[in-house]
Amino acid sequence: MVDDITPDETLDCRGLSCPMPLLKTKKAVGKMKSGQILEILGTDPGTKNDLPSFTKRAGHEYLGEKDDDGFIRFYIKIK
Amino acid sequence: MNHTDEKGVFAGILNRGYHTIFYENWPVWLGGLLIGITSVITFAWARPWGVAGGLKNWGDWFFNLVGLYEYKPTSPMVSTSSILTFGLLWGSFGSSLMSKQFSIRMAPPLELLKGIVGGILMGIGAAMAGGCNVGGFYSAISALSSSGIAMMIGLIMGAYLGLRYLYWELEHLPTGSTGGDRTEKKENRLDWLAVEPYLGALVFVAAIIYAWLFSRQAYSRVGGLLLCGSAFGLIIQRTRFCFVRGFRDPFMTGNGEVTRGIAISVVISMLGFAALKWTGLRGEGVYVPQAFWFGGLVGGIIFGIGMVIAGGCGSGSVWRAGEGHVKLMLAVIFFALSTSLFKALIRSSRGLNALMGQRVFLPDYLTYKWSIILVILIMFAYYLASTWNEETDKFTVEM
Repeated sequence: MVDDITPDETLDCRGLSCPMPLLKTKKAVGKMKSGQILEILGTDPGTKNDLPSFTKRAGHEYLGEKDDDGFIRFYIKIK
Repeated sequence: MNHTDEKGVFAGILNRGYHTIFYENWPVWLGGLLIGITSVITFAWARPWGVAGGLKNWGDWFFNLVGLYEYKPTSPMVSTSSILTFGLLWGSFGSSLMSKQFSIRMAPPLELLKGIVGGILMGIGAAMAGGCNVGGFYSAISALSSSGIAMMIGLIMGAYLGLRYLYWELEHLPTGSTGGDRTEKKENRLDWLAVEPYLGALVFVAAIIYAWLFSRQAYSRVGGLLLCGSAFGLIIQRTRFCFVRGFRDPFMTGNGEVTRGIAISVVISMLGFAALKWTGLRGEGVYVPQAFWFGGLVGGIIFGIGMVIAGGCGSGSVWRAGEGHVKLMLAVIFFALSTSLFKALIRSSRGLNALMGQRVFLPDYLTYKWSIILVILIMFAYYLASTWNEETDKFTVEM
C-alpha cells in the first residue's frame, strides 16, 4: 500500500529518539499544504506508536509505514 | 490426530504466543496495570521498586574505586537497589532482542550532549527528592509519603519547562537534531535480526539461572529482585510505558493516554502498599523520603527538566539504554555519577540536608483511610484533567 507513494517532503529522523522525531514532524507538518505527503525516516521503535496517535489527534491521515535497510519509512497525508 | 499433527498444533500455539507477546503492541493501560501489580509483588517479596538507588550505588562504587570516596558502598552484586536496576536493564535488553528491536542507535552530537545534561539534572533532582520518577514519585506515593505528591507537582512543572526548551531548540538550533544514517554498512553482514529472538531467550534464561545461583548462596531475596526487575524491563519495553510521556505529552500533543496509565498504576500500587503497611507486614517508614516539601518539589522540577531533555526518566533511560540508544546510555552513566556526588554533597552539609525537608507519612496525620482516599482523589483528578485536556487542548503548548 505504501510502496508506490511519492512524498512531497522527506524528514530524516534516523538516530533521533523520542520525542525529537515527533517534535520535528509536528514542526514540518505545520509548514506543509493540505493534501501533501510527508515521509519520515526513523530508527526509534517508539515512533511506530507515537506517529499514528499524533496524526490521528491532529486530524492528518496516517498512510502507513515500511521497513527499509535498518530504518523505517513513515507516511503522513496532511489534512 | 496423529503425532506429527499434534506437534504442528503445539508449535502453532507457541508461535502465536510469541507473536502476541513480542510483535504486537501492548496497550499503555495494560502497562500501567501490570507495573502496578509487579510493584506490589516486588514490595511483598522484599522492598519497593526503585531505579535511582541502583544508579547511585553504581556511582558510589565507581567513586570509591577511583579513590574519591573513602566509604565502601554495598557491592553492586548484592545491593538490592543495584540488582533491581540491573534487572530492568537486563529485562529490557532481552525483550528488545526477542522483539527484534535491539540495535545500537547512534545520535547526533547535540543529542548526545542532551543525554549527558539531562542525566546530570536527573541525578541532582533524584538526590534531592529521595528518588527518581520511580522511587521519589511512583513508589513514594504508593508508600503514602507526601514527598511523592510534592515531586509529582515538581515533575509536571519541570516537564513543562523542559518542553519549552525543546521548542526553543527546534527554533534556534534546528540543525542540532538533524537525522542521518550513522550505521556502518558492511557487506555480507550476519542477519542479526534473525538471530535476535534466540539471543533474547538466552538473556531471560541467564536471568533465571543467575537468580537460582543467588538462592544457592542464600541470597534468594536478591535473586528474586533480579527477576522482578527483569519483569519491569519486559513489561515497560513491550508497552513502551514512559513516565516522561505521561508528564510531557499533555503539554506537547495533548495526548493523555500515558497520564491515565500512570494514574491507574499508582492507585493499584498504592492499594497494595497500603495493605502491606497497614497490616504491619512492612515497616511504615519504608520509602518515605526526607524530602517534604522542598526536596520533592524542587528536585521534581530539576528532574522533570532533565528527563524531557534526555528523552527518558529514571526507568525510561535505563530501559531505552537496554534497547541500544547511545543517548540514553550516556544519560544513565551521568545520572549515576551526578546523583552519587550530589547525594554526598547533601549529606555533608547539615543545612542542606535540613533544607530538603521532613519525612511525612500521610497516615500519621490523616489516618490510613483518608490517606488512601486522598491519593485516589489526586490520581482521579489527574486522570480527569488529562482527558479534559485531550478534548480541549487547554494545556497544550503550541510551537
